[in-house]
Amino acid sequence: MSTTPVIQTEALHYHFSPDVKTLDNINLTVERGSVYGFLGPNGAGKTTTLRLLLGLLRNQQGSIRIFGEDIATNRISILRKVGSLIEQPSLYGHLTARENLEVYRRIYGADKSRIEATLALVDLSGTGSKKAKQFSLGMKQRLSIAVALLHRPELLILDEPTNGLDPNGIIETRELIKKLNRDEGVTIIVSSHILAEIEKMATHVGIIHKGRLLFQGTQPELQHLQEKESIVQIDTSDNRAAQGLLQQYSAVERNGCVELACADRTDVAAINRTLVAGGIDVYRLQPRQNDLEQLFLDITSGNQ
Amino acid sequence: MNFITSLRSEILKTKRTSSVWISLLGALFIPSIFLIMYLTRPDKLVPRLMMAPWQIHFSQGWQGMNSFLFPMYIILICALIPQIEFKNNAWKQVFASPQSTAQVYFAKFLTVHLMILFFYALFVAFMLMTGVVSDLANSKYTFLERRVPWSVLMQLNAKTYISILGISAIQFWLSLRFKSFVGPVGIGLALLVGGTIATGFGWEHVSKIPYAHPILTLMSMKDKGPLQLENHELNSIGYFIFFTALGYWDLRTRKERG
Repeated sequence: MSTTPVIQTEALHYHFSPDVKTLDNINLTVERGSVYGFLGPNGAGKTTTLRLLLGLLRNQQGSIRIFGEDIATNRISILRKVGSLIEQPSLYGHLTARENLEVYRRIYGADKSRIEATLALVDLSGTGSKKAKQFSLGMKQRLSIAVALLHRPELLILDEPTNGLDPNGIIETRELIKKLNRDEGVTIIVSSHILAEIEKMATHVGIIHKGRLLFQGTQPELQHLQEKESIVQIDTSDNRAAQGLLQQYSAVERNGCVELACADRTDVAAINRTLVAGGIDVYRLQPRQNDLEQLFLDITSGNQ
Repeated sequence: MNFITSLRSEILKTKRTSSVWISLLGALFIPSIFLIMYLTRPDKLVPRLMMAPWQIHFSQGWQGMNSFLFPMYIILICALIPQIEFKNNAWKQVFASPQSTAQVYFAKFLTVHLMILFFYALFVAFMLMTGVVSDLANSKYTFLERRVPWSVLMQLNAKTYISILGISAIQFWLSLRFKSFVGPVGIGLALLVGGTIATGFGWEHVSKIPYAHPILTLMSMKDKGPLQLENHELNSIGYFIFFTALGYWDLRTRKERG
């Protein structure tokens, strides 16, 4: 199997207006067979990057290679092997699920049997003559994924595929992504603004913020980065006094709790003893949940 | 072949859309008014149609059509076909599929023209039916005794079709530019009214206004009958070529698609 990355961008820059950099030096590497979680808050540049990958935006600076081929010169042969779902579903509301797939089946030259196969895969076989506009958002999203999967793509580009779905829909979509990657070897790049979501399905993670790629690596590498900065949150009867007692850990008061960084779990036990011995009641002592916002703070402070 | 594939996919998208209904109802409008008139006022119309029933029937029908209804239909259909993509947010999926810009553009434009031809076929069929039904209902009419002048019919079709070619290319280009339906239809209507007024004033350069071409064809048919290509009809073909190329170039060089 070739070792050329499925997606490789070099020094990608993009701006919609001259003074605002939407993308600033994006070097994306997506390895074959990976699920690449493309993480960033809304407006970070995720959709712009993915639209550039599909040639929906004209590239301004830098290079994009997909399957080792340049998208600027080999767009059509690349797109034949790519399935995509960008933002809201693009379905023809007046057509049924089967008709929607038939529109694209012809263009991709996929076999007729793929229609039933993909409908079964996304659990929409029983929709019959129901029009796509009558579908629930979850069904529309699944049909959009079916459109993307119709021609057995080698690469799947999914932009926020779980956006607007209920918890059940989110789990189903996630399982489908994992299954396609595991059973059919599809390389998948999936964007999201929710860290927990990406952690549950991605093998690799790229984090984009304000148009810059802050982190790119495997999921264990990301976890390692987070562990280095393990923060413990403590809720006590007297947070101010507790902060005084824990000065050696450079504790701070934040969000109604005392927060401090500790390298090792024996520190946690020592901290608890110190507080109890100091006559302070400990109501709660827990590792702080990592959310995207915090992760950005960690990464950006780490970069400085 | 790739282009045929794109075309078939475009035709499938029009299934159950309002463009099909507008074609049907638009084509039915004038023949049904004629039918009502023929059936309710034979005293006036039997003598008028006596000499050459089909010729007079067709000539009246196409004149009624070309004065407003037909250009209006062109403006609507040129907007409705691209609207299928805008309304469903589907341009991005079209451009992310392995089709060249030329394939996408020309398959869509050809779909518009196939819809126009579908409209023509319906209109011709309804016009023929109006004649036949009138004669069956009232034997004083002489439609069934006379042969249908197919060559006149074909010339009427060809001339009126040529007269709207320029408008169709301009409207299609506008309809790809505007996300909203109102934009291209509003502009088209305004220009159509402008073209009609300019014709009314007998402006010397009126043959250069594409939106005046249908009505000029209508007037030339009154004068000389539908025989040769008029200057304005050649202009219409010129506008068609120019704006088809412009629309394609515009779509191709767009920075953001879908």
